[in-house]
Amino acid sequence: MDNGNQKEQISELKSQFQKGAISRREFLRMLTALGISVSAAGVFMDAAAAASDKTDDSEPKSGYTILFDPAKCTGCMACAVACAEKHMKAIAPEEARHTINLEFSRIRPMRFQFVDFVNVCQYCELIKWAEGSEQHPCEAVCPTAALHRVKAGDGEEGLTGMGYMTVDRDRCLGINDCGRCLEVCEEQFGSGISFDPIEGKAQVCTRCGGDPECVKACPEGALAFIPVQVNGRYYANSPDHAAELLYKKMFNVEREL
Amino acid sequence: MNNFYGFTGKIARIDLSSGSVTTITPPEEVYRKYLGGWAMGMYFLIKEGLAEPDKQALGPDNMLQLLVGPVTGIAPNPRTAIVTKSPYGFNCITFCGGQGGANLKFAGWDGLQIVGKADKPVYLAVIDDHIEIRSAEAFWGMGTEEAEIEMRKNVLAPLEVSGSTLAESDMIKKWAKLRPPRKQGIGGKRLASAWVIGPAGENGVWFANMVTEGARAHGRYGSGAVAGSKNLKGIVVRGTRGQKFADKQKFLRLMNNIQKREGKSHFWRTYGTAGASTREANIVGGYPIRNWQWESWADPKTVKTLSGPFVDQLSFARKQACPGCALHCMYPARVTSENPLLDQTITDMPDWEAMGMVGGNIGYLEATGTDPGDPYTGTFDDMTENASKTQYTTWLSDNAGMDFIEGGALVGLLMELRQRALVEPADLDGIDPGWGDLESVKAIFEKIIYRKGIGRILGKGVYETARYLSKKKDNGAIMDYCMTGKRYAQPAHGTRSNHDRNALDYVTVVRPCEHTGGGSAAFRKTPIDYEGAVEGQNLNAAINSMIYCLFASGFWGDEGNLELLKAVTGWSDFNKKALLEVGERAYALSRLFNLRSQNIKEPREEWDSPKMFPGRWFKEPLPTGPFKGKTAFDGDIARLFDESLPKYWKQRGWSPDRGIPEKEKLEKLDIAQIAEDIAAKLRS
Repeated sequence: MDNGNQKEQISELKSQFQKGAISRREFLRMLTALGISVSAAGVFMDAAAAASDKTDDSEPKSGYTILFDPAKCTGCMACAVACAEKHMKAIAPEEARHTINLEFSRIRPMRFQFVDFVNVCQYCELIKWAEGSEQHPCEAVCPTAALHRVKAGDGEEGLTGMGYMTVDRDRCLGINDCGRCLEVCEEQFGSGISFDPIEGKAQVCTRCGGDPECVKACPEGALAFIPVQVNGRYYANSPDHAAELLYKKMFNVEREL
Repeated sequence: MNNFYGFTGKIARIDLSSGSVTTITPPEEVYRKYLGGWAMGMYFLIKEGLAEPDKQALGPDNMLQLLVGPVTGIAPNPRTAIVTKSPYGFNCITFCGGQGGANLKFAGWDGLQIVGKADKPVYLAVIDDHIEIRSAEAFWGMGTEEAEIEMRKNVLAPLEVSGSTLAESDMIKKWAKLRPPRKQGIGGKRLASAWVIGPAGENGVWFANMVTEGARAHGRYGSGAVAGSKNLKGIVVRGTRGQKFADKQKFLRLMNNIQKREGKSHFWRTYGTAGASTREANIVGGYPIRNWQWESWADPKTVKTLSGPFVDQLSFARKQACPGCALHCMYPARVTSENPLLDQTITDMPDWEAMGMVGGNIGYLEATGTDPGDPYTGTFDDMTENASKTQYTTWLSDNAGMDFIEGGALVGLLMELRQRALVEPADLDGIDPGWGDLESVKAIFEKIIYRKGIGRILGKGVYETARYLSKKKDNGAIMDYCMTGKRYAQPAHGTRSNHDRNALDYVTVVRPCEHTGGGSAAFRKTPIDYEGAVEGQNLNAAINSMIYCLFASGFWGDEGNLELLKAVTGWSDFNKKALLEVGERAYALSRLFNLRSQNIKEPREEWDSPKMFPGRWFKEPLPTGPFKGKTAFDGDIARLFDESLPKYWKQRGWSPDRGIPEKEKLEKLDIAQIAEDIAAKLRS
């Protein structure tokens, strides 16, 4: 492979990645296919992401995740209000005319004693060599394929798309008849699934299609939207366990919460 | 059913004696007149006949009301109110922040009214419309922290509960082999809020309170004792209904404006009220030191121990906010100490009142053998240890569910009586409380919390304790050291410099001796601005009926108080006058309640009297600080009670001789129907 051609291909990949046309994972895979080492590819990718940040901050981003900083978070719930307001309007426009209902929020700060944990889907992925699939676990157990990823270009701008998950509400069986996504999430990973209070259909964080409202609403700068660093399952904990870890870290005391 | 915005239109009435739950749907007129919180609570309390002196605060007749208001919920700074009859005999109107109020609103309730008495310990589980009275026997005896954690675990909305449906066949084989479904399911989320009482409430300590979120308390006047008398350990609420706004877009815009202004408030966002210690209190005279013998330390180094920056650097772990609040005034803290008793204490801050009442007031700061007028001779280690002592004492109060203002004043009283050798250890079950002595503070608190020995008396608060000891020792001088206003402890704001609180402020507030009454700046003016003072108090009572945090009122202004309220309720004709009238109603009703419920015949003798206030304010000049030599009202007690107080009453439209709201006033406020009977009795 001649060097000039490789540079061109990398530059083309970078631009596609920045536009969100390819996911982070695909970008990484293609770079390594071009003969670039994994660690070097990581550097490329961050540079590409940073460049994309510089070009336009409001441009929706693919392959990003939401992280919360427990030292900065005050548990004020501004994120949940912003999320609920946005998604309730989309799901139940009539009810949303006068109402804000936090049950529509996919990000929920939970107040444990003296610690606040912000619960939001971490986009766990199964691991191919160990578990036989690269799907999201909730996606894998959904009997109707209602939980699915929305490709870049598809979906509703500012709401879904850019490779992030959403729930097809027509296909979802709802909490009363199914609940497998919730169960596998809460049992083996975190607690990223919730159900809307009207029809009881599953809800998952769509990252607002790459431009999350919660991050913009946080008055404390406690939420960051950053390129995925590791498989989200390594961040995911059930809220009570996460709160116990936080409690131990902040107060140096073990307490069941 | 009413179709309201801002309100839900429903109040649940729970009778613990019969186990019945009924729904009250007040007409819109009641909401317009009283809004919620304080004013509405007083309306129902009087309607219930609880102003009558024979209705016992700790009997089944009393009604414990947990109330919200139109701006409790998704709003910038929501709060809740508890309104009931206090074990002290007057009204118990007490507020608290936290997420619980929002949860109650989301569940579809503007309030809970709890009457009767359960046979056995119970707690209320409120999940939307569904209200259950559940056994709390497993939680009885627990401290507030543990009780809250355990109770919340048991209250899940249907949305969080699901039967197990996942089978191995749903999963990819390789995955199922590694991690088969364990059918453990759900339960890690915590979306319910709880208010609980601790052992102090269970044992009927008069100043026991209800606590939420570990350290937020409906702090004063004994709400926890009332709950305890009903065998009610706690209230857990989970709401999933959301909140309705008349004009949601306008509301969101105004909320955002307020939050932006709050975001620039670096006083609150740095140390919360802990910042008041060295910025104001020690300078203007308002730091309670050794039962108010001093109000500022001669050596500024002494106060450093309990100042915002010092306790922050020493122990603050993070910051915590109520919903929608950008002030985040609460700072959970972790204590590290060589003393195993203090080590690993986890508590909030201390906030300003704790710094004052269970800090300076009980002599934690000075080095042994010195007094507050001396140079500071302790070491740096002593300072950290002394700050930790305050934090431990705060925790002790919060975990027992007890007002540390009254508690700190009580310990301060006993310490001063020992300092002056007016009581003996034998009078206090062998405890010998010296200034700053942690062991005796702990011993006294335990006597109080569990009502053991002398604790049976101490549990009735500062005033009753002073009276008891005064009688026992046959020494009237003991009452001179009782730092209470109208039989409840003076909080950590002094009167003598007139730069913190004016004495008339404390004399006129209808929640006895409260420090958050509003209009303080007008009271401090020379001459006193009566109109401004009354308007300030009315606005304060209205805010406490809306109901949002006083710390935020400056950031709300008229835009928040009126425009935001209108966006929530849709009452386009609601104006400033209507808002102030809500506060005026609250004031009149609370005043009538206090006089009637204590069967007061001559207010000027029995209630609004110099006898009800500390002689120290007027007779002992400040010994240190920039206002050295000053006394409250320049020591002119007669001018305060015989001139200024009647002027204040007149400004209110109350009779200048007794402070009874005039009939025309009650009619003008449209409350004559429920209040004139009581007023007429008091006039005769």
